[in-house]
Amino acid sequence: MFNTTMQRIRISASTVTQICKSKDCLGVLIMIPHGRRCLSSSSCLYGKVFPRQKPRVVPEIAGLEPVTYADRMHFVPGLAKPRFPKWERGWKNPNHYESPKPEEMKLFKDKPCYIFNQRTSVVEGVRQALWLSKSAVIKEFPAQILSLAEDPANQIEDQDERVQNAIKSALLWDTTDDQPPRERYCPMLVHRLLHLCGVLQVRHPELAKRMLAEKYNLAATWRRGEDVFQVRGHNGLLLNSMNPLPVLAGPEQIQGTADQELETFFPIAPTIDLQCTNVYQEKSTTGFREGYPCPHAHTLYVMEMGNTPKLLPEQLRAKMIMFCFGNALVRAKALYGDEPRVLEKPIVVQSVATNGRIFQFVVFQLNTTELQSDSGVKNLVWVDEDKPLYEHAQARAHIKRRVVKIPAGLSGYQPETFKKFLALFLHGAT
Amino acid sequence: MATCTRRSLCHFLSVTLVRHNCNRNVQAKASTVKELYPPILPSSTAKSTSAKRRVVDEFFGQLRSCSVKEKIRMLTRVQRKKYVIYPQTFSLNADRWYQHYTKTAYISGLPEKYVGAEAGSALAVDESLVSEAKSVVCNYLLQEHWYLQKTSFVHKQQELSASPFLRNIVYDLRNLLAKENPVLSLSSLDYDPQINYYWLQGERTIPRGHRSGLIEPMRFQIDDRPHSQIRIPQQLPEFVLPEAEISGEVPVISLAPDLLPLFRRQYDNNIFIGTKLEDPCCYGHTQFHIVPDRFCRDNMNKRGLSNQVEVSLRANAIASLFAWTGAQAMYQGFWAEEDVSRPFVSQAVITDGQFFSFFCYQLNTLALSPRADGQNGRINLCWGTESMGLYERVTDGDVLGWNEALLRLLLQFLLNKPQ
Repeated sequence: MFNTTMQRIRISASTVTQICKSKDCLGVLIMIPHGRRCLSSSSCLYGKVFPRQKPRVVPEIAGLEPVTYADRMHFVPGLAKPRFPKWERGWKNPNHYESPKPEEMKLFKDKPCYIFNQRTSVVEGVRQALWLSKSAVIKEFPAQILSLAEDPANQIEDQDERVQNAIKSALLWDTTDDQPPRERYCPMLVHRLLHLCGVLQVRHPELAKRMLAEKYNLAATWRRGEDVFQVRGHNGLLLNSMNPLPVLAGPEQIQGTADQELETFFPIAPTIDLQCTNVYQEKSTTGFREGYPCPHAHTLYVMEMGNTPKLLPEQLRAKMIMFCFGNALVRAKALYGDEPRVLEKPIVVQSVATNGRIFQFVVFQLNTTELQSDSGVKNLVWVDEDKPLYEHAQARAHIKRRVVKIPAGLSGYQPETFKKFLALFLHGAT
Repeated sequence: MATCTRRSLCHFLSVTLVRHNCNRNVQAKASTVKELYPPILPSSTAKSTSAKRRVVDEFFGQLRSCSVKEKIRMLTRVQRKKYVIYPQTFSLNADRWYQHYTKTAYISGLPEKYVGAEAGSALAVDESLVSEAKSVVCNYLLQEHWYLQKTSFVHKQQELSASPFLRNIVYDLRNLLAKENPVLSLSSLDYDPQINYYWLQGERTIPRGHRSGLIEPMRFQIDDRPHSQIRIPQQLPEFVLPEAEISGEVPVISLAPDLLPLFRRQYDNNIFIGTKLEDPCCYGHTQFHIVPDRFCRDNMNKRGLSNQVEVSLRANAIASLFAWTGAQAMYQGFWAEEDVSRPFVSQAVITDGQFFSFFCYQLNTLALSPRADGQNGRINLCWGTESMGLYERVTDGDVLGWNEALLRLLLQFLLNKPQ
């Protein structure tokens, strides 16, 4: 008993040492009051770490019953440790729930399913997302959408000034401190830009036929070759529309994709980094019940917050593509049934992602639900990557050697990026 | 050899001394002809009452010529222990105490603008607009309660459904009403902004310590986080003239604030309207508050505090609106010694997703500090309604017991425009 306890302490001490020996030692030292050492906490940081001992092998001899210290009710050296049957509580306590083994669960299936959720960071990025969704990529912003925002009739009065004010209020004016943390200003920036776009409802009453939804739960299932894939879970802020988005690529362009080769990344399996599970439900739902007034997914706003982002830009774009694809696929299944086919009227879903400064734009057009084979018509993706909205926004100037490197306030504002944001918002309403 | 001796002071104090006569003659002459010498002022360094008064006077005089940013910085610079007022409080009957601290008279019912004869003409709401707004609100209500399949947690109801519902209807109604009220399209909509206000009110005797027995002003701080708010670049018109006779009265509380209870803490004194001074949208339009789960109607009833439901809503409105409106006035350069020259106005809607209550606030005076409050007869005004239900129940895809009058009132609130 004592041995095992000691071992546990030693293991935890070693992990602590590995984690914090480098930089956090200083922090611990600072926490020690009045310069006195607190050996119970700091000794484990500096003590020598012994290698982990092997647990002692206890031989089991058939037919022989070990003499245990069970009846003595305390540890006795030389006697074996007793083994008791598992204690049952007799009632259900939700705080001490033990799940059954996966094999015993009702939803267990022999064939594994690969799930893409909002935290999946696929190593191959966009290439892998293209393979999973069987799409061809076009690396530019669609020109016919951008022309919407170029039209002066669709622009906001004093557009540039108001956008700059929106950026400043999200980044510089929001708190009594100099600057709010990224977790705060990133969603605030997206909301403020959306508010700014919403002003155009006076001129385009069609914009009223939209609804914003957050925390909707998407589930889309499809088969690719032999495997089953799913896109699942919460993801960002979804703008829904009563009318479907107009199709971007014409029939010729869609037919042209049939000749294109789908890029593979051979020694790496296309299912790498996806969550593999045998317990799953084959479910396809938009996350909304029947009769929802705005059934068409319009734009998905994804916010990648935090100073140490969980997804790098490439992986973020993969996530955007996958969730656009998921939304479009679910809609296609609701409209045309589960039978795989080439859609007569392709479904378009857009996505915007940001980390508070850099914007990514994705437009996805679902042409086909025949995803089993690699040949045939492909889906189309337009990707516009890494467009900064501004260069710097900080409350204090950065001065080095008496030279102002970065001025205080907002600098390097790029109106083109907001035009793209606005164009995606206006798409389908003018 | 000189010896050190004490000489009597009586010699100098004698009135018949030559020096005194001289002085008197000079003084009399100077006052009649011209000021040959500067006026005799109390010392600026001594410990006397007059000396301290002179220091304060000079400081305030200096403050009057400062810029707004400098004024706010100077007034909030010194940190002392202050009473922290929480707008959403567990204290019983907090509204009367808050009225006393903010010098606010509460008037039940809304101002004449919304209920009187003018309401029909100035703030008439179009029928088509009402039906559009109704469809917007109903759709969002159903989205949060029915169409979105959510897993619910205990004590997270507001966060789960009321908060997104309110956020979405504020966003959509603002866009919808921008046609009728152009100022809304210039407005700025904040989610979860930070509102702070710091002020002095009343006096207390220091009970213990080396300064015991001295009299110091009581300091108050409000830190508020409304759910969302609309700010506009122009000021809303006042509800009543500041000189008008108002029936409301400010209750006087003679007890110490510790008995409410309020607690004293020391940290940064902040005055903030949710944005910094550079922002052009520096006037308030409407704030939206959400009643947290622990103070919502059902939980209050469970605890046997059903009579406190309206009281806590009132307390919330008075504290939040005073803080917001006061901070707006400070942003225009007014403070306790330079009282507001025009009334400032804001509105608030407090809701738990189902029940809505409406409040209007008119800030007539900022002079609450004991030094400025002496001859000041002006009081702040707060109008408010009891809470009303927007609907009774949401069944599968249908809203029952819809209250159209409440929606109209909400639209009227949002349609309030500057002159």
